[in-house]
Amino acid sequence: MPQLQADVLVIGGGATGAGVAWDAALRGFDVILVERGDLAEGTSGRFHGLLHSGGRYVVKDPVAAEECVVENAILRRVVPDCIEDTGGLFVTTPDDDPAYGDRFMEGCRAAKLPAEEIGVAEALRREPRLNPAIRRAFSVPDASIDAWKTVWSLARGAAAHRARVLTYHRVIDLHRSDGAVTGARVRNELTGEELDVEAGFTLNASGAWAAQILHMAGIEDVGVVPGKGIMIAMNHRLVNTVINRCTMPADGDILVPIRTVSVIGTTDVRSADPDEIPVTQDEVDQMLDDGERLVPGFREARALRVWAGVRPLFQDARAGEVTDTRDVSRTHAVVDHRKRDGVDGLLTMSGGKLTTLRLMAQDLVDAMCAQLGTERPCRTAEERPPGNDDGEHYRLGSRLRKREERLQEEQLICECEMIGRGRLEEAIRTRGTTNLDDIRRVLRLGMGPCQGGFCIYRATGILHAVDRLDGAEAAESLRRFLEERWKGVWPILYGDQLRQARLDDWIFQGVLDVEHLPPGEEAAA
Amino acid sequence: MSHHDAVVVGTGLAGLTAAVRLAESGARVLVLAKGVGATHLSPGTIDVLGYSPARVERPAEALGALPATHPYSLVGADAVAAAVTWFKERVASGSLAPYASVGDVDANFLLPPAVGVPRPSAVVPETMAAGDLRDGDPVYVVGFRALKDFHPALLADNLGRSGLGVKARATELELVPERRRDVNALGFARALDDPAFRGDVVAQVVTRLAPGERVAFPAVLGIADPHGAWTALEQGLGRPVFEVPTLPPSVPGMRVFALLREALRRAGGSVVLNNVVIGAERAGGRVTALRTRVGLRDERHGADWVVLATGGFASGGLELDSRWSARETALGLPVAGVPGAGEQRFRPGYFDDHPMSRAGVAVDRELRPVDAAGERALENVLVAGATLAGAEPWREKSGDGLSLATGYRAAELVLAASTAVPAAAAGS
Amino acid sequence: MALHDGHDVLGTLLMRESLDHCVKCTICETFCPVSNVTPLFPGPKYVGPQAERFRVPDEPSPDASLDYCSGCGICTQVCPQGVHIAEINSRARAHLKATHGVPLRDRLLGRPTLAGRLGTPAAPLANWTLRNRLLRLAAEKAIGLHHRAPMPRFAGRTFQRWARGHTPPQAARRVAFFHGCGTNYYEPRLGEMTVALLEHNGVAVDVPKQDCCGLPLQSNGLFDDARGYVHRLAQRLAPFARADVDIVGTSTSCTLMLKREALEILGMEDDADLRAVSARVFDICEYLVGMHERGELKTDFEPVPETVVYHAPCQQQGHGIGKPALDLFALVPELRVVESDATCCGVAGTYGLKREKYDIAMKVGAGLFAQIADAAPDRAVCDSETCRWQIEHATGVRTVHPVELLHRASGL
Repeated sequence: MPQLQADVLVIGGGATGAGVAWDAALRGFDVILVERGDLAEGTSGRFHGLLHSGGRYVVKDPVAAEECVVENAILRRVVPDCIEDTGGLFVTTPDDDPAYGDRFMEGCRAAKLPAEEIGVAEALRREPRLNPAIRRAFSVPDASIDAWKTVWSLARGAAAHRARVLTYHRVIDLHRSDGAVTGARVRNELTGEELDVEAGFTLNASGAWAAQILHMAGIEDVGVVPGKGIMIAMNHRLVNTVINRCTMPADGDILVPIRTVSVIGTTDVRSADPDEIPVTQDEVDQMLDDGERLVPGFREARALRVWAGVRPLFQDARAGEVTDTRDVSRTHAVVDHRKRDGVDGLLTMSGGKLTTLRLMAQDLVDAMCAQLGTERPCRTAEERPPGNDDGEHYRLGSRLRKREERLQEEQLICECEMIGRGRLEEAIRTRGTTNLDDIRRVLRLGMGPCQGGFCIYRATGILHAVDRLDGAEAAESLRRFLEERWKGVWPILYGDQLRQARLDDWIFQGVLDVEHLPPGEEAAA
Repeated sequence: MSHHDAVVVGTGLAGLTAAVRLAESGARVLVLAKGVGATHLSPGTIDVLGYSPARVERPAEALGALPATHPYSLVGADAVAAAVTWFKERVASGSLAPYASVGDVDANFLLPPAVGVPRPSAVVPETMAAGDLRDGDPVYVVGFRALKDFHPALLADNLGRSGLGVKARATELELVPERRRDVNALGFARALDDPAFRGDVVAQVVTRLAPGERVAFPAVLGIADPHGAWTALEQGLGRPVFEVPTLPPSVPGMRVFALLREALRRAGGSVVLNNVVIGAERAGGRVTALRTRVGLRDERHGADWVVLATGGFASGGLELDSRWSARETALGLPVAGVPGAGEQRFRPGYFDDHPMSRAGVAVDRELRPVDAAGERALENVLVAGATLAGAEPWREKSGDGLSLATGYRAAELVLAASTAVPAAAAGS
Repeated sequence: MALHDGHDVLGTLLMRESLDHCVKCTICETFCPVSNVTPLFPGPKYVGPQAERFRVPDEPSPDASLDYCSGCGICTQVCPQGVHIAEINSRARAHLKATHGVPLRDRLLGRPTLAGRLGTPAAPLANWTLRNRLLRLAAEKAIGLHHRAPMPRFAGRTFQRWARGHTPPQAARRVAFFHGCGTNYYEPRLGEMTVALLEHNGVAVDVPKQDCCGLPLQSNGLFDDARGYVHRLAQRLAPFARADVDIVGTSTSCTLMLKREALEILGMEDDADLRAVSARVFDICEYLVGMHERGELKTDFEPVPETVVYHAPCQQQGHGIGKPALDLFALVPELRVVESDATCCGVAGTYGLKREKYDIAMKVGAGLFAQIADAAPDRAVCDSETCRWQIEHATGVRTVHPVELLHRASGL
């Protein structure tokens, strides 16, 4: 049995895990991070895209609000390239109590959140598609953040400080010895090979899956409440500013412009299993109605994709049953298993939100240092991880501008998302795996309006041509893409998106007849 | 207000077929459409019936086994055969002559599209016929690096795996018109209209051919003179040559559009684009005029007959809104086959059988729209093409066959029923 | 679909929202006359609904290739999904100009009345200047006007002046004549023929004082200036519209501007005068065909034993009314009309006059010019003045407005 050794084993490759790995690596720890899938495939890859100003919490959860205010500023400093400074508005819709706006401003002042009431006319000038019937509007420093870019940036940073980041490595058991966790057995999901990781300390950053990991250490009823939420990406930016309803946190009260789309979300449904998070028609209907409240004509706009994410809400089950997950605090907590369960060498991070990922990592690594009896200061508030060299916030037009520079020199493979052949070939080269799914997720190939109608065949052809796939794998990959894409499309298949689906059906089935592609050897066997 | 014997709505294969047939028989025809139709997106073959659900070898026979609600059953196998014959005559005597289509409804070719799956088609352009995979000759697939919509190695690989015993090799040429990096199928088709470019292609390919190999190209063998381009390549290479359908824009599809459009013009019919039909004036169960939105105005067009060929859900001829109710957007005809609120419209697997797939306007045997009770909604309106209920063209591989047959039949029915068709087209 | 219902049709915001309809089918690309001849323009699908998703109002315009769009509008006409591609491009171009500045040349080309007022009193000198090769070469170097760009001849008199001296007869019907800058400064004879033809058919013609419709300013991205012109013109014409008097125009691109483009692209849907005018403005051939359908047109045409090639300009196609000129020609005995199926002559208003675009424009029009050469006609016919000048420049074939043929066939 092969064995790896490290000071710290981080379980989970989402924002939390990557942030922890970065923090610990910067502090000089030798880190191994294991993630059962690809980085940011879990909650982080499915979240709303919002870098909170904190305004959402100023009335209901002031502690969470203050955390957001501080962390928002820090993240803008250390991962500027991952953030688009869209700004945010809190608007009082006709369904909201205008008096809440005063409590809102009060809360902002208390949390030192720089909010300002602007006139409705000004709000409508900035955002012409906003509901003209809004009665109040407040401007806040919300932003949109590319979680995937952020997670990758942190992981690369950790790797640059000796950390080993092992994706597609699933934890199948935790090792215990004398009442302490000493590491884990993991399985390489791509090869089937198993190996042991021995670590002085194990940090459980698996978010909504925390309970599953702790179960392997014999620790039960930890109180992670997976909170499912669905989000719908609309085909283009209906707004260029984050729009929030100025009211107590509710479903579907945020519309976030992120990259080329605007995302409406979200719902809040307690879920038993973080891997079983179906999108229901009722939720879709609800989100469309909520969108209509913020932007009239929302239902006529084109819905691009729908997905569900699951929040790792934490409430210690010993403190009582949870019914409405929105009442669970959004702040995070370090679960001290030494105190709680008598288990050494293990800490769990639970709860939290992406906006506070850096603070969560800091708290977790601080707690570990305290238990280890060592003092190593946290540097993540100052250091920039790789990929943020521009030092400037992301601008949506940059993708188009970059494309313009290479207009005559390079083929455009995914036209919707402006991905040139050079980028595709580079991704193929730098990624270790030949997994077309990964490359698609990395580049967001086929995530634009045409839903891969044109680019997926092209990308498959290019991958095949550079010997990365044979015919059987290409066929499998094509079919898998179609199935994956369909999952996010069929619950919102109406209007313009249905037109697109019909064209795509025509191309894939009518012209290319992909359903009759000969199966690969595995499938045939 | 203008008045025409027949107004056809839609410029796809169904609409243009109906319009040409009517105009050539002396009717005064106006074609109104939002834009250009889906011929540009179709492979240019007439696929009558490919899968039902097993692969079909003899489409004429297989038509009889279709459900009674299928549009083919409603128009009848004879009409399908007649439409196909008519189409072949149109192509052969059209503006691209001697470019011709070959085949008939009795047997399907098996042609490879760009991913190399053997695909059944009944009538195909002469430029594709040599690709028939029932014939086991090996294939040399030639692509162009600047044409990202065609990948020869992938095609060759899958041909080899198709179980038909066809061996294939591939190559990619660096030749490109005007030294561009990114040229679509139409750009290459123009280049292949040019003898000099063709000569370069032949020179680079002819020395690499192995004995017995036929040569496959992407579907770019000329747009202005496809017969000339194709025969020149065959002569230059000394081998059978065929073109392979791939992603849009489809050059063979564009050829069909061009020759039908020209045939319509010669027959005195006119086409007006950028007109969206938004309703009709009616009297006693008949439509007397169509109302269209043009830019910011509403116009009226008087008509004795209306052929509705608006392309179904793909272009907004049928629409499903966010509350899951469907409507036919031009005349508000009843839409059949849409599951009710709370019922599933689609299944979770992409290749599953989806309840919504066959939704559309239901018609009787004379292509008149009927309501849920089977009653005729309008006397002088006929529906053709993808707006019809009862078929799943992309699955069955029946798209162009359906459009052609129903468009043709609609014209036949109008001609048979109308009493006021002038003897000769009175100018435009 | 809400985007096409009632008042929702207006509004530049909802015009932009039409990008949602784009399914990337590539049909627009196959028809774009510019992207088919030059790689400098990536095509309407790319520049329109695709790039629009990457544009943010507050950010500087990121895509310069947009400037190669000629604004012919063919993409919008052929789009099967109803995406307002050309209109999206037009607005994006204005933002581009706002980011990078508008060159002096474009400011000058955008104001034909300025040139008209300056050139008319000194027409012989002005015409000589425009045809002097050395001066044209110098102009190309100085401001970027291509030295071979087809420039019209100043008539030395204005149509407005003629109209002031002309008394309309008594007639059952009346129209107002929106003649445009081209007729006023360069082709006043066309205006006279139009009036004569209408009077011959029992229509009295009012010629109100009027200025430019603002289209050249709009196509050069100077939206605020364009709005000023449109507003003033609409003020002049609105009283006619409100009195139920139709407004007819011989410049098909200018009538389209008032009918639709100013509302959709310049966002002037709040301008009540413009809305009144928009509802009552007609291209002259469109109007004559309407008269014919109502039985009001004299069809006792004399034979015109000529062969002509008719080219419907892109802007005329943008009206979405078919080719009414052809319907009228069909009434003229012995006239043999060859209908060109070429899409665009290339000049696209002021586009083909520019140094960096002249060659592209000539390539775009090459198909049309070849068709005309092959047909060896007596003359060519085209409803837009800038297209006529381009065709004459490229082929040497005399090119006239349809009215001129009808005027002759009416024995006037």
